[in-house]
Amino acid sequence: MTEPQTVGEMLARKGISRRALLRYAAWVTSIMALPSSMTRAMAQGIADTKRMSVIWLSCQECTACTESLTRSYSPTIDDLIFDFISLDYHEALQAAAGHQAEEARLKAMEDNKDNYVVIVDGSIPLGNMGYSTVAGHANADVLRETAEHALAVVAVGSCATWGGLPKADPNPTGAVSVSQIVRNTPIINISGCPPIPEAMTGTLAHVLAFGQIPELDHLGRPRAFFGNSIHDRCYRRPFYDKGLFAKSFDDEGARKGWCLYELGCKGPVTYNACATLKWNGGASWPVQTGHGCLGCSEPDFWDRGSFYKPLPASTEPLATPLAAGAVAGVAAGALASRAAKTRREILGAMSKPKDAADTTDKT
Amino acid sequence: MELLDFARGPALTIAFAIFAIGVAWRLSSLLFTPRPHRRAEAREGTPSDAKAFVRGVFSRFIPHKTYRDVVFANHLNAYVFHIGLFIVVFLYRPHILFIEGFTGLSWPALPNTLVYGVGLVTVVSLGVALARRMTNPVQKILTTFDDYFSWALTVLPVLTGLLVVNGIGARYETLLALHILSVCALLIWLPFGKLMHTFLFVLSRGVTSVRLSRRGATF
Amino acid sequence: MEIHTDHHAPPPLTPKTDPVPPYDKQGDMTDEERVDAAFKGFVKDFGQDVAIHMEACIHCGACAHACHFYQTTEDPQYTPIRKLEPFRKAYQREVGPFAPLMRMLGIDSRPSVEELQEWQHLIYDSCTLCGRCTTICPMGIDIADLVKSARHGMYDAGLVPDRLSKITRNAEAKGSQFGTPEEFIETANAIAAAFNVDIPINKEKADILLTTAPGELEGHHKAFADAGKILNKLGYNWTMSSEAFEATNFGYLSGNRELQKRLTTALIDKAVEIGAHTVLLPECGHAYGAARWEWNLWYEKDVPVKVLHMTEFLDQEVGAGRIKLKPVGNTATFHDPCQIVRRGGLTQAPRRLLKALGIDLIEMKDHGDFGYCCGGGGGALANVRAAPLRHKVFDLKRKQIEDTGAERFITSCGQCRITFERGCQETGWDHPPESLMELVADNMID
Repeated sequence: MTEPQTVGEMLARKGISRRALLRYAAWVTSIMALPSSMTRAMAQGIADTKRMSVIWLSCQECTACTESLTRSYSPTIDDLIFDFISLDYHEALQAAAGHQAEEARLKAMEDNKDNYVVIVDGSIPLGNMGYSTVAGHANADVLRETAEHALAVVAVGSCATWGGLPKADPNPTGAVSVSQIVRNTPIINISGCPPIPEAMTGTLAHVLAFGQIPELDHLGRPRAFFGNSIHDRCYRRPFYDKGLFAKSFDDEGARKGWCLYELGCKGPVTYNACATLKWNGGASWPVQTGHGCLGCSEPDFWDRGSFYKPLPASTEPLATPLAAGAVAGVAAGALASRAAKTRREILGAMSKPKDAADTTDKT
Repeated sequence: MELLDFARGPALTIAFAIFAIGVAWRLSSLLFTPRPHRRAEAREGTPSDAKAFVRGVFSRFIPHKTYRDVVFANHLNAYVFHIGLFIVVFLYRPHILFIEGFTGLSWPALPNTLVYGVGLVTVVSLGVALARRMTNPVQKILTTFDDYFSWALTVLPVLTGLLVVNGIGARYETLLALHILSVCALLIWLPFGKLMHTFLFVLSRGVTSVRLSRRGATF
Repeated sequence: MEIHTDHHAPPPLTPKTDPVPPYDKQGDMTDEERVDAAFKGFVKDFGQDVAIHMEACIHCGACAHACHFYQTTEDPQYTPIRKLEPFRKAYQREVGPFAPLMRMLGIDSRPSVEELQEWQHLIYDSCTLCGRCTTICPMGIDIADLVKSARHGMYDAGLVPDRLSKITRNAEAKGSQFGTPEEFIETANAIAAAFNVDIPINKEKADILLTTAPGELEGHHKAFADAGKILNKLGYNWTMSSEAFEATNFGYLSGNRELQKRLTTALIDKAVEIGAHTVLLPECGHAYGAARWEWNLWYEKDVPVKVLHMTEFLDQEVGAGRIKLKPVGNTATFHDPCQIVRRGGLTQAPRRLLKALGIDLIEMKDHGDFGYCCGGGGGALANVRAAPLRHKVFDLKRKQIEDTGAERFITSCGQCRITFERGCQETGWDHPPESLMELVADNMID
């Protein structure tokens, strides 16, 4: 029996119906807001293509991105990894270890030159290469080497896309994002801490089916998942429009599910699909649990002031410049008026008033 | 988003510092400027200087009936945009949150949609004020760069604010950043041009009221 | 057929008027020296109130609607606050927010000599210091007082209307714009004899020092005599002084601070010298402004002398029952002299006197603190160049007076009277104002 050449052949051999593939394609096109006419093309694209070789590099990360991906609702991780793609290298998931693992990576790169996809989670330390190495190689070197002949690099999670928590002030490891290492290969950023699993699988399915990178926003994120703000799609938005706000996490407003804007929700400036796709198979999402959005899919979200400070409030304590400025200003004013008085006197002050004391002795 | 971070952080800090220095400097230099001479003995039975000062500050809010007809339209429009600006700045929930952020003070807000309407009326009213400035011969002859510049810096925050809440022209965070930056520009300029009348009207009315009141004359 | 090809349009009959308003110059300073003198003169006045007011203008233009010169011409150049443009420039250069920056960069934004010359018309000819603009300004800017301040720099720069300058020089030379002490004694005695009134002059001790105005010595002789008549009737120990008779103060009007000081201190010092508790001013507006409200400029300490305006004095005497009046019984309207009423606070005093005279007062449309100026105050009457503007204001005033339909027209300022008398001469209007004091003098019950 020969090896199946395409995903379609393989699915057929496994007894997965074309109907199931179509159902999957329909779901992906819908969450990516593609026209429904694309469903058939996507299914056909997936069926006709060879299983794509994927190399997953983990840098300074916490494995939450992998955790998120393995909990994706549909298709399940088994479907995705073993049916659509060939995950040739993943430190956490692969069975191989040591030299075998590294050889697997190099072989996949050679066999699929210019056609494999690199997925990266975690940020890359540049401060001291020793902070994160694999098989004695610094993350940055492995990434550069692996990305050079890749079709695309998919940076998943806010660490890979923006530098992440490791980059938070004072950034002890000198962490940087994938885009600061990879120069000549297209990068798709799927940010979030962690990213929404459907955003990862949907993007991969799109690349697999069409051999193309989906439309990206100015930060390199697929518009399909990052095109709208949390605020715009939030089910609590009507309360915002009506001016109904929770003032604390346990007040009447909070219990009634009013808008969390005043409790520091960053929904208006955060672009992600949480409000529509939700998490854990559509079970819930942060705002639904009663907590404001932290803005985890936006660059440097941990360094942008308190999570609980409302958006209109300044991120810096403005009372200080006000008070210090007022004190400095009063001092400046006192000096200025003194200087002005001196200048007036130099320019010839009004003749001095006469002292009437000598003429008032008659009173 | 970096622009918004700049606006919410360093820009506001710098603007507040310059605003505070400027206002304190301008006011204190006026208050520290000595009067060149003593005041003449007040007429018997006239109110105390303090009383005259306070009375003067409030009495000049309404023009005397002699002038009511000639200044009616202009004063009415001025009232519209002054009250409009007050409502938009101090009675809009996000702005109260902003002020609460550094003062800890909070007070009830007006419904957002009402404030949006007030903002629109304010912009229109400021437009009318500008049109009058550009056409009325008396105002034309008095107008300086300061007038146009101050006008622009006043209308910009209201305009950008309206763009923010309606999401017109750019992404929310960009508009919000521009809105905050326009407020920064306004705060930075306020102490140095005619906008300083925000504070000076008190002193200006007060000293004349005291002067005339000591004579027993009406202010 | 004859065709005229050499036909030229006749030249226009009216000569082209100079677009630059007329101005006079005194002294032989260079332009640079004038600018410098004006600048320094302006700067001396930048005390607290001036500084506050120079900062506060919002350029709304409301003041134009209060000014009789704008109201009667609708020429925006007469907008009151604009009359301060050179003064404002000096302020901006010296004290304004950007003054240190301008000085550092060496930007000379002082007013130019051309500007100063042009503004002479605005600072002198078209401002009577009446202060009506002060009452409309939403910022409460005391524009009238600022114009008075601006005149100081103009005087120092030798940029004053010639007539005003001449009168000022005369007053400097003789101690009075009327004349020398000897000339005063001669004239006073002549009037006293003509009206059969005893006018004591140069008594060594007296309680009241009566003063007068050139208008009374030169034309309104009855007013001069009536003041004496009233004081004699009341039995006060009073006197006039040949060294301190002059209540008008052209230093105050022209911007000559030294002269203003000299004239005011002459009155106060003389009163102190003879032990007088009161300096009694004649029916004169700006005399009240200079002597009552600005004597303090020249003294560091209080002086035991009260300065009273004739109207105020009469009001007190009538109120205390020391003067009893017989009813006149006519209707009358009253012209409020700016320096006495709007700027002096004596709004009710003349009205109480009119009531005591049994006169039915019919107010003009604009009256009391908001009455229009006669058009001749603040030195404008002495300034021949201001005559055309003054006549326009006279028309405005005349209409308001006629609209009352009152039988009599009364006022309490000699300068206002002369302004109206000139207006009457010009227009043939036969309704010159009467003096309130003369009415009182004529109707005292023995």
